[in-house]
Amino acid sequence: MAAKKPNVAALVEQMPETDNDIKARQEEAKAQAQPDAPDKPKPKADRLGAASKFTGPDPAAAEKVFAEILSGGRESVTELLGLVREPGDADYKNYKASYVLHGVVLLAGRTGRETERKLVGDALAAQLGGGKHSKAVKGFFIRELRVLGDKAAVKALGAQLLDEDLCGDATQALLTIGDGAAAEFRRALDKAQERNRVTILHALGTLRDGESAAALRKAFGEEQGDAHRTAAWALANIGDAASADALIKAADSAEVWERTEATRNCLLLAERLAVLGRHLEAKRVYTHLRDTRTASNERPFREAAEKALGTLPR
Amino acid sequence: MKKILKRITRRHFLTGSAAALATVSIVPRHVLGAPEVSPSDTVGGALIGVGGRGPGTYGEMVKSFQGAGMAVKKLAECDVRWVGRADNKTTYTDFRRVLERKDIDVVAIATPPHWHALISIAAMEAGKDVLCEKPMTRFIAEGRAMVEAAQRYGRVFQIGTFGRFSASRDGKNVLTRKIMRSGLLKPCEAVVIKSGGLKVKEWSGLVNAKPQPVPANLDWDMYVGPSPMKPYHPHRVGGTHRGYWDYEGGGLCDMGQHYLDPFTWTWGKDDTAPVEIEPHAPPAHPEACGMWGWVELKYADGFTLVFDSGEWGKPYDRRKSRGVSLNDLGEEDRKKIAAMPDPEPLLTFGEAVKARKPAGGNADVAHRTVTILHLANIAIRVGRKIRFDPAKEVIVGDEEANRLVSLPMRAPWHL
Repeated sequence: MAAKKPNVAALVEQMPETDNDIKARQEEAKAQAQPDAPDKPKPKADRLGAASKFTGPDPAAAEKVFAEILSGGRESVTELLGLVREPGDADYKNYKASYVLHGVVLLAGRTGRETERKLVGDALAAQLGGGKHSKAVKGFFIRELRVLGDKAAVKALGAQLLDEDLCGDATQALLTIGDGAAAEFRRALDKAQERNRVTILHALGTLRDGESAAALRKAFGEEQGDAHRTAAWALANIGDAASADALIKAADSAEVWERTEATRNCLLLAERLAVLGRHLEAKRVYTHLRDTRTASNERPFREAAEKALGTLPR
Repeated sequence: MKKILKRITRRHFLTGSAAALATVSIVPRHVLGAPEVSPSDTVGGALIGVGGRGPGTYGEMVKSFQGAGMAVKKLAECDVRWVGRADNKTTYTDFRRVLERKDIDVVAIATPPHWHALISIAAMEAGKDVLCEKPMTRFIAEGRAMVEAAQRYGRVFQIGTFGRFSASRDGKNVLTRKIMRSGLLKPCEAVVIKSGGLKVKEWSGLVNAKPQPVPANLDWDMYVGPSPMKPYHPHRVGGTHRGYWDYEGGGLCDMGQHYLDPFTWTWGKDDTAPVEIEPHAPPAHPEACGMWGWVELKYADGFTLVFDSGEWGKPYDRRKSRGVSLNDLGEEDRKKIAAMPDPEPLLTFGEAVKARKPAGGNADVAHRTVTILHLANIAIRVGRKIRFDPAKEVIVGDEEANRLVSLPMRAPWHL
């Protein structure tokens, strides 16, 4: 006999109401019990649906709900995804569907539940295309993929990198997953504009993606503002020896905070080069910092460089 | 403490700073409000994050310097809610413009915690010493980066809670610390239970708050900073930010570091962390910090710490509180404890700046302290027992939980 299909909507509604809604219902019940009492208008904050706090279900009962939805397989999980709304959506009802989805994600993500993890991850990734969900809901799904997604979700996440509203969440999910993410960022970099471009340059630096060094050098050399600054940091974090002269020159010619930031990039570059075993190149950068950062406010850099020089093999 | 102060003649790090000396030396003494303090013992100060705890944090910094025979002159304040009001001379909206000033030597940081690590590290890079409000960080990896920055740049860091100073002057606590640090208790059966006082409901977030327009005076992008961009809602700023994982960790993080600062000193847990953490809580909300019952945290030596919120579910009843005493040891071991030297007195922030030595609540110990809170919150967030490796600072055998140890930062911010 086939297993009974879970009633997902009913399971979602088993979650407790928020503190304010509980209070509002109690007030309503009290008013109904006293029909002769004068009818005072309620403050907005005390009405049903007003912004309020989570009360928390019994853990065992909640886990039963999550497990039952998971037992319904992809179909039930997809049905749950269809119920999720974010507070800014016109048809938003309450927090329950997104909360239950998070619970399902946490349960499926437990060690040893690889089949369920894949099921939920695939279901979430499949919802990122098309126009069925609002951007806010897609953002929520992406953040849930940050919790449990793996390599299988990378392509679907990479497809969001050019979306102004979703690039940030998709980047965080990809950086967390790691495996296969760099290729998605490299692919998106050429077309990405403004904030998304900075986000992607930043991600390539965070992943220390040596394959993108040439593109980062180009951005550092040709772009301005946050893109220029982020590319500089990314090259330093990668430990790109070919950028040493350009990073030093930029730091030496910068002033005020920008000089501090650019000098830190040089120190970071030297540290990365040292770890990569490129001691001569590291020594050159450290020596430059030791010899040029002589102002009192740059003492931390001078001393850090001096200390590091003492640790390099002679 | 006096013994240490006698060795100190003046601040070491100002000696090479002609610019700083020139700036502070033109300040009349009566303006400084401390006529007995010479200009060379007066440092330039700034407050970053002026709301909520800001004035209190800055006041603690001033007091700390006064106690060390020095003075602080406030030269700048910074807040992201001052759009259209900041003059970029004494009031700022961008902390980087404050940190670039050569006449500022020390900064008090009282922003929401998601900014603590980045601003502290940037301040240390710019040669400043830092007093940073608690909780120290938003996630564990930030704390490690702060510890490394303090070491790399040789700067003084003090967390904005001071319970360990009085704890370290209490003879009973000193004895407890000696017994715990001796490693003679095998296993250690002590249990410490912190019941209530953690403001769990008070600092919970809203789960159904509709986005609202950003006020004209607020730089929302800068406020959000390294955290994920979310629609604005007033509950996300101004103290109630504590209820959102994006910025803090609820009442546990807000109150926890106060409670744990003397705890970690007394119980000798300044250089390690719990290895097994078990929560009793409903599955956590993904965005808003919410209700939980209790969390049991066990150390490798058997020592147990419990947070019992008293605000949700059944109270903790697994074990009873139990201290340690010399009676737990044999005669030979008691002699060993008697022979142990007393711990070194802790230096206040002002004393540490003057001596160029680590402060009592330095980055290492503050990081270990806040790590306890982050571990408790991670266990609450994933809703299951987790295991932590204190040396590698990773959660073992639970990838989902381990993803909360280090969170990616929103561009262009990075550790």
